[in-house]
Amino acid sequence: MTRRRIILGAAALATAAIGTLGSTVLPARAHDAKGPNGGQLTDAGKYHVELVGKGTRLEVFVSDADDKPLPATGFKALAILVIDGKPQRIPLQPEGADRLAGPLSAPLASPAKGVLQLTAPDGTVAQAKFN
Amino acid sequence: MFARSAAALAVALSFGISPADAHEGHDHGAAPPAASVAAAPAGARAEVVGTAFELVAVAEGAGLTLYLDAFATNEPLAGADIVVETPSGPVKATEDGDRYRLDAPFLAEPGRFDLIATVAVGSDLEILPLTLVTVAAATPARAGGASASAWLASWWPPLPGWALWSLVLMVGVGAGLVLGVALGRRGRRTAALLLALPLALAWSERADAHAGHDHADGKTAEVPAAGERAQRLADGTLYVPKPVQRIFGLRTLLTAEATFHRSMELPGRIIPDPNASGVVQASVGGRLSAPPGGFPRLGAAVAKGDVLAYVAPPIQQIDVSDMRQRQGELDQQISIVETRLARYARLVSSGAVARQMYEETQLELQGLKDRRTALDASRRQPEALVAPVDGIVADASPVAGQMAQPNAVIFHIVDPSRLWVEALSFTAITPVSASATTAGGRSLALAFRGSGFADRSQAIPVHFAIEGDTNGLRAGQFVTVQAATGQRRHGVAVPRSAIVRTANGQDFVFEHTAPERFVPRPVRIEALDGGRVLIVSGAGAGQRIVTQGADLLDHVR
Repeated sequence: MTRRRIILGAAALATAAIGTLGSTVLPARAHDAKGPNGGQLTDAGKYHVELVGKGTRLEVFVSDADDKPLPATGFKALAILVIDGKPQRIPLQPEGADRLAGPLSAPLASPAKGVLQLTAPDGTVAQAKFN
Repeated sequence: MFARSAAALAVALSFGISPADAHEGHDHGAAPPAASVAAAPAGARAEVVGTAFELVAVAEGAGLTLYLDAFATNEPLAGADIVVETPSGPVKATEDGDRYRLDAPFLAEPGRFDLIATVAVGSDLEILPLTLVTVAAATPARAGGASASAWLASWWPPLPGWALWSLVLMVGVGAGLVLGVALGRRGRRTAALLLALPLALAWSERADAHAGHDHADGKTAEVPAAGERAQRLADGTLYVPKPVQRIFGLRTLLTAEATFHRSMELPGRIIPDPNASGVVQASVGGRLSAPPGGFPRLGAAVAKGDVLAYVAPPIQQIDVSDMRQRQGELDQQISIVETRLARYARLVSSGAVARQMYEETQLELQGLKDRRTALDASRRQPEALVAPVDGIVADASPVAGQMAQPNAVIFHIVDPSRLWVEALSFTAITPVSASATTAGGRSLALAFRGSGFADRSQAIPVHFAIEGDTNGLRAGQFVTVQAATGQRRHGVAVPRSAIVRTANGQDFVFEHTAPERFVPRPVRIEALDGGRVLIVSGAGAGQRIVTQGADLLDHVR
C-alpha cells in the first residue's frame, strides 16, 4: 500500500516536472546552395531565403520549406552583411509581389557573408547565416 | 508504517528541493528583491561559433554580458568592436576587463530575442546570429510576475529560500498525516495526494529555473540549473561557463595530423662555443700586476686585444750580475765609439779619414745605444696578458703581487651569446633536429654541430649549438637534449600538459566541442619530445584539444 502511494506521488512529481521542461533548438545550419534566382539560398527557421545582389541593390526572395515562393507582403527583413570589408546594416522592405529589397553601398561580394533577420507576417523572427 | 516513510520522504525532499531555490536566488549583480528575481529569469544564454571567434551572451538583469574568445585557442579577445543589433536598434558593447557589456532593457520582458552581433577584431570581421530565450514565470497560477515562493516570501521576508520550501513541505506532510489519522485508512490516499502537491509545485519551480538555460545543441545533455558553476553532466561531458573558463585559464589547440620524427633524450651540459671563448694564460711565470684600470671583474665585457693583466718575470741574482756586466761593457764601448766618432768628424773634412769609415762608426754607435736601451727595457717590461676573443670574464682569480705559474689560466673569457651543448649518446646519431630543456623547464632550440668518434665513458659526445636567446644560461648547466632521429611517426601532436591521467591509468584529453562544452576523449599516446606527445589513436585532426588547464577540468564533478 505504502509503495503504491509513493509511486503515485512520484508520478505526480514527474508530470509536473515534464510539463514545465522545454528545450529550444536553434534553426538548422544553412545548406548554402544556388537559388532559382541565381543567389545564395539558405534556411531561416521554417523558411528558405535567397540573397541576390544586383549592383547596389539587395534582393531577398522568401520561399517555404518546399522551395515554393511566398509573397513578400507582410515580411520584413534586416540584413547585416560584410560589404567592402565593413559591416553594413541594410533594412529590407517588400517590393513588388515576390521580393524584399534594400540599397547596398557597394556590390555584393560572392559568396556574401553576414546574417539576415527575417520577420514573418505572424511576428516570428528567424535568422539565416551566410558564409 | 506510512508515517515513518512519509517522515523520511519529507526529510529527503527538504534537502532534495533546496538546490532549485539556491539557484533561483543566485543573483547577478546587485541583489534585487525576491519578487523581481522570480520575474526576470537570470542566466539565459546564447552561444554562436564563427570561423575565428566564439561568442557567448548571458542575460544578466537588464544587461547582456558577452564573452568573446578566439575559436582555435579559446583565448579571450580584447579590444574587439562589438555592435549588437537588438530589438531597439544597434547597440555598441563596452569592454569591461575580459568581457563585454551591453545595456539590454528589452530583456525586462521575457521572450525570444534574435540578435545579430557584428564582431571586429583587428582585420577579422564576422557577423554572427544569436538567439536568446528568456523564460517568463508563465503558469496562470503565477500571473502578475509573482511565483508561489515569492508570495510566501512576502509573508516571511527574512527566511532564505530553502527554509521556505522545507516549511512548505513540512506543512504539506503534516497536513497529510493529520488528515490520514482523521480520515482513517480510506483517507490515506487523499493524504498522499496532499503530500504530492507541494512536491509538484516545488518541481515546477525547479524546472522553470532550468529552462532559463538555452543550449542551442539539442544532442547534448541538458544542463541542470547551477548558475555560473562548472559541472559534469550525465553523459560525461563537462559544462564550463565562460567566466569559469577564464578563471581556469583554459587554452586549446586546433589539432592537425602530421608526420613527426621519433626523438630520443640525451643528458647534456652547456659549454662555451670553442670559437667564441678563450683562456688567458701566462707564458712565463711571474708577478701579476693590474693594468691601469685594475683587473677586470667577473662578468665584465672585454674586447679582443684588451690588456687584462701584466706578468713581470722575476730576475734571478745570476741574471742581474750578467746584466750589469753586459751593461758595463756596452757603456764602455759606447764611450770609445763616441770618442772615435768625434775624432773622425774633425778629420773627415780634411780628407785624412775616409767618409765611409766615419759613417760606419756612426752606425756602430747607434747600434750600441739601441742594445743598451733594450737591455734597460728588458729589465722593466712585464708581459701583457690580452683577451684572445670578445666576451665577458667568466672566471678570474688574479691578485696583485701574486706569483703566477707558467701556463696558469688567469682569465676565462666566454661570449655568453654563443653557447653550445655537449650531450652524451650511447648510439651514433645524426639528428634531424634537436631541442633542449633546462631543469627550469625552459626550451632551447639546438643545431647539430657534430658528434665525436672516440668513446667517453662508453658514450660519444655530441655537440649542438644553441640557437636564439641564451640569456640566463651558464656554462656547465645541465640540460636534457631531445634529438629527433630519422624514424617517422604519424599522428596528432599535443603538448604534454593536454594529457590527463585518470585513477585507472587511462589517458584522456578534453575536446572543446561547443563554447561551453568539453568532452573527455580517451587516447593512446606515444612520447614525441620533451614538450609534446603524439596521440596515436582517440583524437584526430581538426579537433580543439585543451592544452592548458586540462587538470583543472579533470577535477570538475
